[in-house]
Amino acid sequence: MNGQLSMLSMLRRSLVHRRARSLSALLAMTISAAVATALLTLYADLDAKLHHEFRSFGANIVVTPAANGQTLPLDSLARVQQVAGPDALIAQYAYAVATTDRGTPVVVSGTDFDAVHRLNAWWQVDVWPSANDADVALLGQRAAQFVADERAVHLSFDGRPIVLRGAGRLHSGGDEDSRIYVPMATFTTWTGVQPTVIEVQIAGGAAKVEAAIARLRHLPGLKVEPVRQLVEGEDRIVDKTHALMYGAVLLIALTVAVSVLATLSASVLERRRDFALMKALGGSQAQLMAMFLLEALILAVTGVVVGFVLGSAAAFAISQLNFHTATLPRLGVIPAVVILNMLIAVLAALLPIRVLRNLQPAALLKGE
Amino acid sequence: MFFRLLMESFRRQRRRKTLAGLAILLGTTAVTAMLALATTIGDRIHSELAVYGANIVVYPAADQLDVKVGGVDVKPVTGAAYLKESGLKKLRGIFWANNITGVSPELPVHIAGTTPSGKAVDATGTGMWFKHSLSDGGGSPLVTGAPTLHPLWKLNGAWPDEALSGPASTEIAVGNALASQLGLRLGDTISSSGKVALRVVGIVTTGDAIDEQILLPLNAAQMLAGAPDAVRRVEISARTKPEDAFARKDPDSLSPKLREVWYCRPYANSIAYQIREAIPGARAEQIRRVEQSEGNVLKRISGLMWLISAAAMLAAGFAVSAAMATAILERQAEIGLMRSLGASKGTIAFLFYVETGLLALFAGGFGYLIGSGLAGWLGARIFGSDASVSSGTIFNPVLLPVIIALALVVAIAGSTPAIRRALTMEPSAILRADV
Repeated sequence: MNGQLSMLSMLRRSLVHRRARSLSALLAMTISAAVATALLTLYADLDAKLHHEFRSFGANIVVTPAANGQTLPLDSLARVQQVAGPDALIAQYAYAVATTDRGTPVVVSGTDFDAVHRLNAWWQVDVWPSANDADVALLGQRAAQFVADERAVHLSFDGRPIVLRGAGRLHSGGDEDSRIYVPMATFTTWTGVQPTVIEVQIAGGAAKVEAAIARLRHLPGLKVEPVRQLVEGEDRIVDKTHALMYGAVLLIALTVAVSVLATLSASVLERRRDFALMKALGGSQAQLMAMFLLEALILAVTGVVVGFVLGSAAAFAISQLNFHTATLPRLGVIPAVVILNMLIAVLAALLPIRVLRNLQPAALLKGE
Repeated sequence: MFFRLLMESFRRQRRRKTLAGLAILLGTTAVTAMLALATTIGDRIHSELAVYGANIVVYPAADQLDVKVGGVDVKPVTGAAYLKESGLKKLRGIFWANNITGVSPELPVHIAGTTPSGKAVDATGTGMWFKHSLSDGGGSPLVTGAPTLHPLWKLNGAWPDEALSGPASTEIAVGNALASQLGLRLGDTISSSGKVALRVVGIVTTGDAIDEQILLPLNAAQMLAGAPDAVRRVEISARTKPEDAFARKDPDSLSPKLREVWYCRPYANSIAYQIREAIPGARAEQIRRVEQSEGNVLKRISGLMWLISAAAMLAAGFAVSAAMATAILERQAEIGLMRSLGASKGTIAFLFYVETGLLALFAGGFGYLIGSGLAGWLGARIFGSDASVSSGTIFNPVLLPVIIALALVVAIAGSTPAIRRALTMEPSAILRADV
């Protein structure tokens, strides 16, 4: 028998023979790997997911004509969309002050209902009008009180009357409540007023918004301003949540690592008799250590395989439950998890070494 | 005898006890810290979300329609309805009064006058509170105003002081754009057409329509407008519970019992309802852009914290169980010896459980203290030392029994299989085996 073979068979026997202890060590290594995988997978995805949530705040850039009283250049909407990128949500508005059938002045706004629906998730609307409905009007809840008939809305602008079909009320709690929204095409043919505001939403935080603003400012005839509190607030909250998660990840990883270390090093210490016996039979210190290490590493790697599957599943479940979007397993976290588990295993094997080295085989085998 | 066994076990097996205790200590530390953070995260994120401004707006029910585009009044309203400023102190008496963190009334006035250099001033002024103490007689007053609701407003100089407003002179703050347009500097005085000297004490940059306006104390605006006690609109920032299906119900359509439940939950809708009850003639609405989106963000972040806490609890539970199981497995020989000396299974199990229980109690208690401290430190590090999270809330007394109970359950559950296994084995077999 050469040394290598006997080492392997000893290893196999050691793992199989003491099944309960091997299993509890394997369980420990699996937990540490699963926790590390789940946390790292979630952590890698966190910023993107949080930024996604902030989309519900609506537009973070407002584009207006360069000088007061002007209208936007004709192809502005298409050019802004092109510069801002296909992911940016964009809606344009035109405003005019019309008079209701009760003689009250009211702000009427022309817009694209589909675009507004996507951009302003907080609008509470009974039924969104369809895009190809030409003579429809959405009444802000305050404006609706100044309209005699909400089904047939009579408005007049500059002596030109129009009758629109009321599609229902809009609740927002902001200025929108005092306005009436109509489709852009209907609005321009009725009033002849061109769009004056384009609202843009760029997802992904302050850096991306600033970059988009810099690109948009190259377009002629436009004034581009960020909605400051939205942009700054988003970054502050994402950064703080990120830092909080970082602290939580470190804390949990440390806890699990130390518990696992306690379990493993206890099970190494427990085998003082084996150690003494092997030493008495002529095994060198290095050989014995190598065997302990190898055993721990096998457990560590097996733990990573099982733990990666469990941890990815946990990350997926947490993400699905909380953000309603999937977080797919990331192979990229495996190296970090393997290194962490190896480190725990090696430490667990090496920590008790001082105790083991000072053992007198004869004394121990006698039972002292 | 039993106590001697117990004492000796702790005295002699220090290494084993230390390891098992350490596992419990760290486990409870992590779980306490996570739970403490998860329970306070709502308040912390709410104060961060304050940059988005008010989430409830109050205006007179009989109001005219605003004709505003981009924050600018296109046609100033004539004959507008007002709320009473003196009625606002009733906000301190509603059911969820303590959840109201900011109140900012507004009164627009038109200001005409001349600057020291002779330029004509024709601007919109807004009367507001800057540092107003709102109190209904009982309890500590809420010191609030527009700056609390708009933490991003940048001020050069000082906010006007409402105590210095008089019929002859008053302090004002001027929007950045207007100030540079008129060449106004700190210390300049605008002499208004109403014979009131308006002294510029601050220049404010907001990034919105306020940049073109003059801000003045509410009492001065009331004097200028000739409308004592009048308020046009009130912005309110309140700590709310994210809206769910129940929150959207109309309270008047609910049964009295359900209505009570609805009323006593801090939904934006319930708070708005209570404001309407407290201030007659007022309409209160949630500002959906802020409220809905904040609720969304808050729900996600606190949901994440709770789920991570649950995962941490599960992982720590398993890790501690494994450590406990190993600690017992190691002591099979001891169990064999005790049994061969005539101890009953029950006595041995009891001894081991008491040991485990004591360990869980002490380590769990320490873990609670360390974890609470850690959560406080981490929270202060990340969110800044905030007044809303004082030292009183760092040690959450509700968590202590929860944590101790968890530590006991996990430690006992972890050691049970090992104890049972050791007890079912023949003592002679254990003693012969080289364990």
